[in-house]
Amino acid sequence: MQETVQESDLLIKDGEFARFRDFFYRKTGIYFEDSKRYFVDKRLITRVKILNYKTFREYFTHLRFETDGKELEQLINAMTVNETYFYRESYQFDCLVNSALSMVGKGKTANESIKIWSLPSSTGEEAYSIALYLMENWPGINDYDIELFASDIDTSVLEKARRAVYGKRSVEGIPLTLKKKYFTELSDGRLQADNALRDCVEFTNVNIMDSQAMRYYRNFDVVFCRNMLIYFDDKSRRLAAEAIYDALAPGGILFLGHSESMSRISSLFKVIRFPETIAYQKA
Amino acid sequence: MAFVKRKSTETTPQDSREERRSHERDMATLIELLQDENADERRHAARDLAQFPDSTQALADSLCNEKSLVVRQAIFDSLLSIGGKDVVDLLIPHLKSEDANLRNGVIEVLQGFPQEVAPRIASLLNDPDSDVRIFAVDVLQLLAHPKAPDWLLEVIRDEEHVNVIGAAVDRLAEMGQPHMIPDLERLKERFSDVPYICFSVDVCLKRLSEG
Repeated sequence: MQETVQESDLLIKDGEFARFRDFFYRKTGIYFEDSKRYFVDKRLITRVKILNYKTFREYFTHLRFETDGKELEQLINAMTVNETYFYRESYQFDCLVNSALSMVGKGKTANESIKIWSLPSSTGEEAYSIALYLMENWPGINDYDIELFASDIDTSVLEKARRAVYGKRSVEGIPLTLKKKYFTELSDGRLQADNALRDCVEFTNVNIMDSQAMRYYRNFDVVFCRNMLIYFDDKSRRLAAEAIYDALAPGGILFLGHSESMSRISSLFKVIRFPETIAYQKA
Repeated sequence: MAFVKRKSTETTPQDSREERRSHERDMATLIELLQDENADERRHAARDLAQFPDSTQALADSLCNEKSLVVRQAIFDSLLSIGGKDVVDLLIPHLKSEDANLRNGVIEVLQGFPQEVAPRIASLLNDPDSDVRIFAVDVLQLLAHPKAPDWLLEVIRDEEHVNVIGAAVDRLAEMGQPHMIPDLERLKERFSDVPYICFSVDVCLKRLSEG
């Protein structure tokens, strides 16, 4: 163990940290190595102060036994990176074009399209990244029709997604040649995706917890649902897993965020190991 | 071939590509469908019964005979969705099941209802069946109830069965508090001839003494 981190009069002892780490892992699937101790302690101490507790022990008791899960949600926000940007966790897109699509494409007839869903879409970076990867890196693009949907509960982010205007930081992961090919620089320096890219994605508004609305979302071959389930409470997470299961076609593949694990949420899916990453498959 | 756009996910009821159900979705029909030969029908029925709080008895009853783990998961999720004291009362008897998957599913659902489970903890921890007592300790592991550590403390004070005690000590390593150290030391003395308990207590004591 590293030395404990002390900030003003607040202290997180080794044993407290160990118990917190166990609890956080059980709730989220995120395990903090000892090397992350400073990062974790800093954020924990911030939360202790915000809630006006005098000791970490008092704070942990609140976190551990609160029934509404609100503080856990706040803490997860503090412990994870919420920023979305193009080509984030791109090894999953590599997996999509190198491994997953050939698997789901098998057995498709000429009239059957491949359906991909990005959920939640937020402002569209993930969905457009998928489109770029398919157009630029997937030989099968000429053999199949692709239906690429991206959905979010928040209509304001959908509006931004459709406009597809992004700051330089958001697009810095895209190779320069592709920026030139698919984007136009605006007068304020931001980049806007051209119609050739924007037309690849159908953005829709949906709440994954609305089972009636979700009945229109079926037979997807691939679903990207990254960094959403981790913010849900246990019950919502399980119900969301059921909804995603319903939305997938038999054999369909689910990609979660790198810190998420479906096996901690539901037994509906089986783990599938690709060379690039693991994913989950509907049996 | 290329990217194509369809209106298949526009959420309008008129859309022809909405997933259709082949049966009426009233509660009686759905309960009947829980026995259907087709697992997809059973799963859809279980999912849709989440809208009917009066279906808890039928859902809980169907757990025993349901062999499909996917359908079983849907039943559990609907019971979790409905919630309440009745669900807790209906699920607790399943802790005696020989089916590990069923028991684990029950434990997970029970953990979702701390207030409803709390009045039942004492009787579960005193059940004549030591396995049920272990499962009660498992329920406490992620039960968001402030008395959970105290219930575990009672287990290490009063329990005689080594496996129940082992489970409780393991959970206390995660949620115990320093004032429990004397009880753990007494437990170690009481089971000084059981290396497994001594080891578990040492791990727990190290954790608690560090904070």
